[in-house]
Amino acid sequence: MERPILTIIRNKRTKASKNSSGVSPQMQRVVTQLSVMSARKKQPKMLKLSNEDLIKHQTIESAWNIYQDQLQGQRTLKLKKQYFAVKEAMDVLKLASPELFAEANVDESGKTFPMEMRVPTDAPPREIWHYNYNPKDSEP
Amino acid sequence: MLRNTSTIVLSISKRGLSTSSVLRGKPGCALVPPVHHLVKIDKAKLSPRFPGLKYDKEDIRSPAYRPENTHQDRVQEHYLNSLQSDLMLINYSHEAKTEKGLKKRTWDVTKSPYHVNRPLRRPQGPEGQQPDIHPIIWNNIPSIESIILNCYVSDSRDNELLAISALLQLQQITGCKPSIIYSKSNVPNWKIRSGRQMGAKIKLTGLPMHQFLSTLSEIVLPRIRKYRGIKATSGDSLGNISLGLTASDVKFFPEIDANQDLWPKIFGFNITINTTAETDERARTLISGFQLPFDLETSKKES
Amino acid sequence: MATKVPATIRAAMVLARTPIVVPELTKFESQYIKYKSELERRLMWTFPAYYYFKKGTMSEYRFQSAQKKPISKQPGVWYPEGIPDIKHGRERSTKQEVIIPKENLEINDDTSVSRPVVKNPTITKADETNDTTSLERRLRNTLYLLVKSGSKGEWKFPSFEASSNIPLHEVAESGVKEIGGNKINTWTVSRKPVNVLKDDKNGSLEFLFKSRILTGEFVPEKKDVEFKWLTKDEIKDFVNEDYYSNTEYLLDK
Repeated sequence: MERPILTIIRNKRTKASKNSSGVSPQMQRVVTQLSVMSARKKQPKMLKLSNEDLIKHQTIESAWNIYQDQLQGQRTLKLKKQYFAVKEAMDVLKLASPELFAEANVDESGKTFPMEMRVPTDAPPREIWHYNYNPKDSEP
Repeated sequence: MLRNTSTIVLSISKRGLSTSSVLRGKPGCALVPPVHHLVKIDKAKLSPRFPGLKYDKEDIRSPAYRPENTHQDRVQEHYLNSLQSDLMLINYSHEAKTEKGLKKRTWDVTKSPYHVNRPLRRPQGPEGQQPDIHPIIWNNIPSIESIILNCYVSDSRDNELLAISALLQLQQITGCKPSIIYSKSNVPNWKIRSGRQMGAKIKLTGLPMHQFLSTLSEIVLPRIRKYRGIKATSGDSLGNISLGLTASDVKFFPEIDANQDLWPKIFGFNITINTTAETDERARTLISGFQLPFDLETSKKES
Repeated sequence: MATKVPATIRAAMVLARTPIVVPELTKFESQYIKYKSELERRLMWTFPAYYYFKKGTMSEYRFQSAQKKPISKQPGVWYPEGIPDIKHGRERSTKQEVIIPKENLEINDDTSVSRPVVKNPTITKADETNDTTSLERRLRNTLYLLVKSGSKGEWKFPSFEASSNIPLHEVAESGVKEIGGNKINTWTVSRKPVNVLKDDKNGSLEFLFKSRILTGEFVPEKKDVEFKWLTKDEIKDFVNEDYYSNTEYLLDK
């Protein structure tokens, strides 16, 4: 009986490599996807603030809150003034001309803002303003 | 004797700090004197262990602390500077009064003695209770509360791994942590079993919400071919408006578009925009201010 | 009760150009936002580069060689800044700086991701020459249209006399087109007036309507009509005090 000849090969892998450890490529992709969302090995150290730093942080936060309260107050006051201005104007119009008042006091709920009214950006666009507007284009 | 024990059992159950009874609209504490505990005790707070976990999430000492206001919020500034006063003006109605919604009715106690303490009667008509609609004044101008992305993957009943892909997709698009949707019911005909992962959802507020909104209106929707806009019929009549994106639309999100080879399968999702508006019309006015188009003409023709 | 004399009714238009660029942050705001964004970077999870750059590819090599390597922990070394704690190539006690590798500068590719971001200047030509008739000035602010007819007239929002029947907001719209040409695209916010200015001398009532210019421009048809696009703060110097105090709360910054 012939015995198999044992040959020793240096640096031959005895274990299967990590990727070909019986996991299909699809499964490997899912494992990677899960690891992207998982906190494991990705979280930084927790913040350890000294007492002084903590007080500094709390002061900054309360200053910001006070500032935001002030801004909110100013905005509310302005809106309140605007509201009563509309109310007064409508009252005056009702007395002055009931027909024009009826034309003005129309329910406009559901009116949409035009798409040209853009949200401001961090920097201006290349063409800042569109000058060539032709009224005939938008009519049909 | 028997009667006595039953009253004791009743009073004990009334003393319990039940959390489920609070959900059913009943007080969560004892109604029978002596009343000992009005507020449920959070036992985690009593323990000296894990002091870091006792701070609320806004506190910098909490491990769950996430800083807010990390960038200038241009969408919010646009709303405050330009949209807010316009919204108040558009929705102004002279000498308007609160429109009462349908409410549950009381029983006429004089008709029958059995009406005493009877649960309230259903409102008239086929509809249920409805909230009141208040006129818009300076302190109730509609604003966007939150945006909810809901990605239900029906194919994941065969392959649960797809739900993980959907989870990552929402995370990549929004930069926030999504949660898993589990199927609730068993429907053998549709091969649905309860407790299975069926997709992902996420609720966005604040800066991430505004970033998502501007990505949607400035990058994604303009690139969809023949996009007509959000349907005018969209809305749940309480001021929340929804739109859907198909898988081919989602491709236009820059996070997906930039490395397409990572995304062999893309999932569409539903977007619900929750607003503080009390009617759908008001919500539509608000949302159109953020450059989201509405398809008003086709809906008119259909109706 | 005295019989009421029918007042002359006028309709005026507060025509606004919305800001094109975000408002400038105050010093406190920008410092606070910088503080919070640094905190966020410090608390951010490590960037999962292995997901975006496949192992063994050229792009992974280029990305990894562009990153700064943190100091690693060696036995028997004293670290004055604290013992390094590295995971996934990131020092856990500091923020992670992800550097996008610079591509070959010789290739002038406009679509390349790593091309430098060059912002257009916020201060335009119109700002430099102080051209108040231009719509391209003061991009961070809301601009309002003020007109003056004749050399003796006063600077005010364009205002027009109303005839009976026609709704007031339409009077204001068509009036602006009459004096400012047809090539102006405006959107009237609402049919409701935002304010009323009462003139006690001649008993006229002036109703203000809010509108926004979307495209096009205001080109006066008549020679004696002058116009300016001004911010809220600038309007103060052009109109009289009474007029300003009655309208300032309608104007945005």
